[in-house]
Amino acid sequence: MLAVVACAGWSAPVHAVENPVNPDESERPILPEEYASVSTELSGCFECHGVSGRPIEPAFPILSGQHFYYLYVQLKDFKAARRTSEIMQPMVDELSRDQMKLIAKYFSEQEWPGTGFKGDPALIAKGETATGAGQCVQCHRGAYDGDSRVPRLAGQTREYLFNTLSDFKHKARMNSPSKSSLMDSFDEADLEAMAEFLADL
Amino acid sequence: MSKSAWKKMLTGVFAIAGFLAVGAFTAAAQEVQGGTLYGNMQTVTQDMLNRAAGDGNNFLHTNGNYEQTRYYPARQINVDNVKNLRPAWIFQTEIVESQETTPIVVNGIMYITTSFNHVYALNAKTGAQIWHYKHKMGPITTYCCGPNNRGVAAYGDKVYMGTLDAKLVALDAKTGKLVWEKQIADPELGYSETMAPSAVNGKILIGTNGGEYGIRGFVKAYDWATGDLLWTFNTIPENSVGVWAENDATGRNMKRDIAAEKAALKKLGDPYKTLGGGVWQNPAVDLERKRVYFVVGNPSPDLDGSIRPGDNLYTDSLVAVDLDTGKYVCHFQYIAHDVWDLDAVSPPILTQVRDANGNMVDGLLHGGKTGHVYIHNRDDCSLIRFSEAMVPQEDMWVLPTKDGQRMLPGANGGVEWSPMTVDENLGLAYAINLHQPMTYHVESSPYPEGKLWLGGAFKVIPTEEQWGNITAVDYNTGKIRWKVKTPQPMIGGIMATAGGLVFTGEGNGLFKAYDSATGNVLWSFQAGAGVNAPPASYTVDGKQYIVVGAGGNVQLNYKRGNNIIAFALPD
Repeated sequence: MLAVVACAGWSAPVHAVENPVNPDESERPILPEEYASVSTELSGCFECHGVSGRPIEPAFPILSGQHFYYLYVQLKDFKAARRTSEIMQPMVDELSRDQMKLIAKYFSEQEWPGTGFKGDPALIAKGETATGAGQCVQCHRGAYDGDSRVPRLAGQTREYLFNTLSDFKHKARMNSPSKSSLMDSFDEADLEAMAEFLADL
Repeated sequence: MSKSAWKKMLTGVFAIAGFLAVGAFTAAAQEVQGGTLYGNMQTVTQDMLNRAAGDGNNFLHTNGNYEQTRYYPARQINVDNVKNLRPAWIFQTEIVESQETTPIVVNGIMYITTSFNHVYALNAKTGAQIWHYKHKMGPITTYCCGPNNRGVAAYGDKVYMGTLDAKLVALDAKTGKLVWEKQIADPELGYSETMAPSAVNGKILIGTNGGEYGIRGFVKAYDWATGDLLWTFNTIPENSVGVWAENDATGRNMKRDIAAEKAALKKLGDPYKTLGGGVWQNPAVDLERKRVYFVVGNPSPDLDGSIRPGDNLYTDSLVAVDLDTGKYVCHFQYIAHDVWDLDAVSPPILTQVRDANGNMVDGLLHGGKTGHVYIHNRDDCSLIRFSEAMVPQEDMWVLPTKDGQRMLPGANGGVEWSPMTVDENLGLAYAINLHQPMTYHVESSPYPEGKLWLGGAFKVIPTEEQWGNITAVDYNTGKIRWKVKTPQPMIGGIMATAGGLVFTGEGNGLFKAYDSATGNVLWSFQAGAGVNAPPASYTVDGKQYIVVGAGGNVQLNYKRGNNIIAFALPD
């Protein structure tokens, strides 16, 4: 129930993604034995991040198909308060490193879901120019699908992308200082456009 | 090479030869040819490596030879007939991603690598695959600017590759099977490998990436047969402060606040543990002096000098070490306390140069990200001269600010990692250049434990035109002989041949041959993806080939592909 409470406590404005997925118990995956030690925790994750990979609200990121090492580092950062979130910190507080690795492994091995997002062409063009100026491909690669410690951005929910870019810019998210410096050099309209471009990929 | 190492190498050769002699070995069509009357043709001996500069059949080093001239001695393809050059074969790899490999060719067998550390052995005459090795990548990799790999080193009966998860692997050249692998450094701390190793005297030399991640750089030497570590040279000494140099190599003031740096040094101590200084391009080897010469990359964090007081030795430097021991011999620092990431990357070239008194001396050339070719005396690493700037330089050295300061060249430099080439008959060095205006932003932050640590940001100015050059520089005078503009910034590498040609490719897919004396374009081919890898050449059965990878580039986001294309003249 912790996760349900946590999701309800999310204060950011949210809009439903197309075809939202409810965490219906009947749809829950049967977890392989190796995840036995984190089955309760994974159930908590599904409450917000979705059972089938699509989060219940677009403010929550897609985790399914995200890279293992990126997910593991984020969990570690939440626990160490290098990345802050009223929702996530209580979720990870009691996790061991091995449990974090298992959770990261589970999501990294799932398929990346489609969101059905279709962006505005003019905004997309503006966003592509902005990501080019930021040389984002140097780390996130040409298809913005990331690798290892660099997250996939392509097809992530637009709202989460914008919130994240904005959090970097305004130092609400502090666990990647080079990202903060880069986002600080863009205005809000650029960040909106970048989110539009990346969500549409 | 040690006696025992030679013994092992020779034993291997004789064992295979003997095996063949009794007829117990049936070579499959797709296997590398083994022994002959003259020994095992796939065994790369030290003598072959030493003589590579005059070898018109093989291509044995990433940059052609130990001097790294990238000058190929065959002249079958030349200024008169290059217009007839056409693809002989195209090989498509499994990986559609940035392609920076230099094909290595040993007696008709070609070894190439791809992004994410695949290795292929191909029949160099037909392009047919012989074997394919796929590195089992660990879950943690940390790298900037693409999952690149620049090729193998060939030595004895093995080929060697560095991996993104910071390992050195040795493969059986005949089968592609893993012989041994060694963990070079911890990828979680920002170390990775993209450079091709170098092989010399029983040692496999390799540096490290990681200048954007707070590493402490090094060059290491491993035993070719066992993988045992023989020596390590740390590119960042425990005392990295230096002489508080106020001017760069060209004499321009770098606007350092020395008093503030001294105060920071007192407060913070020497920053050597996380000061960067990667070495990610091949060293040149001076066999006579028993030295290796390499260039060292930028200090970490790239843009924020406030927390790394001092000259940050030996970042942004040419360094020579003893081949046998790895001990320091000499260095020359181009930019002390760099806060622009305009470091030293393009591999150094050994050649004879005219010194300030007009005497020919053993020289060394380096194409700097500043846009100059630097000409050194190999004895003591000292600078003899520097060339005219090959790209626009504006507002050097304005200090980065939070809101960003425009300065040219941009942080990808005037010459990136792209190896240069020389034609010693013409006394010319050829470089490929970038013009990419950027703003430099600084923002201080503590080391984020293996995460990207730039100390700010570099930002391309999207409204300003970008372009590239191919530039021929007279290294005995520093004057530019000719320059050809290209529509996009250039990255990948260049090769000169005895046929009076230089070959290089562009991000738009064009691969071109230029007259090395004049810069006239004599031939071009549209490869369909960015040609951003260094070309190579070889000869099989009397036919000379030019070969290059066309897989695009991550750093400049040029169209990706997966082709290795070999060109030859019609029969």
